Amino acid sequence: MKSGIATIIVFFTINTVVLFAQTTSNRILNFQPKFGNEDLQLIEAVYTTKNNDSIWIDVFKCYVSNIALLQNGKVVWQEKNSFHLINSAEQESLRLMLQTPVALTFDAIQFNVGIDSVTNVSGAMGGDLDPTNGMYWTWQSGYINIKLEGRSNKCLTRNNAFTFHLGGYQFPYNALQKVMISIQQNEKINIVTDIQKFISSIDLTTQNQIMTPGKSAMFLSNQFSTIFSELKQ
Amino acid sequence: MKKVTIFFLLLIFVLTAFVSVSQLFVVPKGWPKPNYDFSKNPLSKEKIELGRALFYDPILSRDNSISCASCHNPYNAFANANHQLSLGIEDKTGSRNAPVLVNLAWEKKFMWDGAINHLDMQSLFPITHPDEMGEQLDHVISKLKGSTIYPRLFYKAYQDSIVTGEHLLKAIAQFMLTLVSSNSKYDSVMRHQAVFSNQEKNGYQLFKKNCNSCHTEPLFTNHEFENNGLPINKILKDFGRMKVTGLAIDSLKFKVPTLRNIQYSSPYMHDGRFTRLQDVLKHYTLGIQKSSTLSQKIQQSIVLTSNERVDIIAFLLTLSDNSFILNPSFNFAKHNLYQ
Repeated sequence: MKSGIATIIVFFTINTVVLFAQTTSNRILNFQPKFGNEDLQLIEAVYTTKNNDSIWIDVFKCYVSNIALLQNGKVVWQEKNSFHLINSAEQESLRLMLQTPVALTFDAIQFNVGIDSVTNVSGAMGGDLDPTNGMYWTWQSGYINIKLEGRSNKCLTRNNAFTFHLGGYQFPYNALQKVMISIQQNEKINIVTDIQKFISSIDLTTQNQIMTPGKSAMFLSNQFSTIFSELKQ
Repeated sequence: MKKVTIFFLLLIFVLTAFVSVSQLFVVPKGWPKPNYDFSKNPLSKEKIELGRALFYDPILSRDNSISCASCHNPYNAFANANHQLSLGIEDKTGSRNAPVLVNLAWEKKFMWDGAINHLDMQSLFPITHPDEMGEQLDHVISKLKGSTIYPRLFYKAYQDSIVTGEHLLKAIAQFMLTLVSSNSKYDSVMRHQAVFSNQEKNGYQLFKKNCNSCHTEPLFTNHEFENNGLPINKILKDFGRMKVTGLAIDSLKFKVPTLRNIQYSSPYMHDGRFTRLQDVLKHYTLGIQKSSTLSQKIQQSIVLTSNERVDIIAFLLTLSDNSFILNPSFNFAKHNLYQ
């Protein structure tokens, strides 16, 4: 009698595991930092902007959160506890595993660039949200949504440096950006992040250092949200 | 009969378990619900001990010279004795007076201007500010990882010896949450266990009429930011909360501090400009400078005779809590180093 029950339990457990394995999978979401058509290489590579200025990128990091997949404008899958720190200097951070159903069809992906205001006021958290990751303002609480640092002859600053630490969660300077892009490839999602699009939208001579929340941070965050697109095969 | 006995034994067991957990933090009778969300950082004895060890350890500063307690001394209700402005590493001077650390579980925002939005995040400020501990966060983490004490204390607290920012901050917050002061003479009087002297009683009546709208009982703060009419210091040029919000309506507003243990926490105000309570009372009666953001609550002048001011001070001294100041579990714990 007892062994009978055990067999049934084992049978069902195996069944559930098999079913689970069949219906969900690790769908890869891959971010590919680029500068125009070239793969982004930090610090050493020199790029040319549309105005023929030289530019180097030293740091490129941002938060991607609340990832969802959509079909015909309706959310068909949503990632739970969805907070990812994307860092161009760390290859593994650019490759996310989404636990989605295998048979899922979708035509768009949606996510936030940055950290929402509720999470911003919820105290210390771990993993990608650990405030010691260098993406948190310590003198005035708040996550830094985007860090982009580099050099350009356009910047008449020390070492020709430009520094953008963009964020802010409090009204009226909430810099969080919602991004939605259409997707054709369903098996593996490849997203390009083209820094050139951001750089060409601003004048580095006049705007080369933003490190506090405010109007400029909001404007630049909005410009930044346009750099994402699906990789054209 | 047997079942009843077992039931009661179980009940007693459950109740004692509950009491031993809740004793780590008790909301004093009649006090409001704390603002801190304990469910996200459940207190434990080991985590509090870790936070306490960190609080007293200069390892958090760049040159290992100062700790949190350097400016937040337990014998001054965790304020900075005799220094108007806080002192950092290499004799650097900050721009504000180190406040008391009392009943922080009820606070909503931290620092004089509310720049910090959560108690967990508070310690990031002094650790990283160049005029305070001047340290880099990744360097603090690596120093703690390499220490002979901390991996063990982190393991005891979190069953994981890996030092993370989250655990570091939450442990310090846990220690600070335990700093509850609710056993002053004032509290005894409210619990009908003691009586005010006539002078204290008169002071209390005057206090309720003139001071209570900002320094609201039982925490003696309304947790708001107010402009209390202090003339701006021409060197510090500190406009308070305006720096955080960028709004002109917040010019010259600072957080209303608690008055509990005020006897121990001199000097007073955000820049420590007053040394004596009589100077503070003199400011509120004679020194208020009008400006567009002056608190609504002091638009009408406060009129007090010199005797009445003395009576208010007599009442303020009833907010001193010796059991808080001398609580051995708030002091530096040598045993953390040797266990």
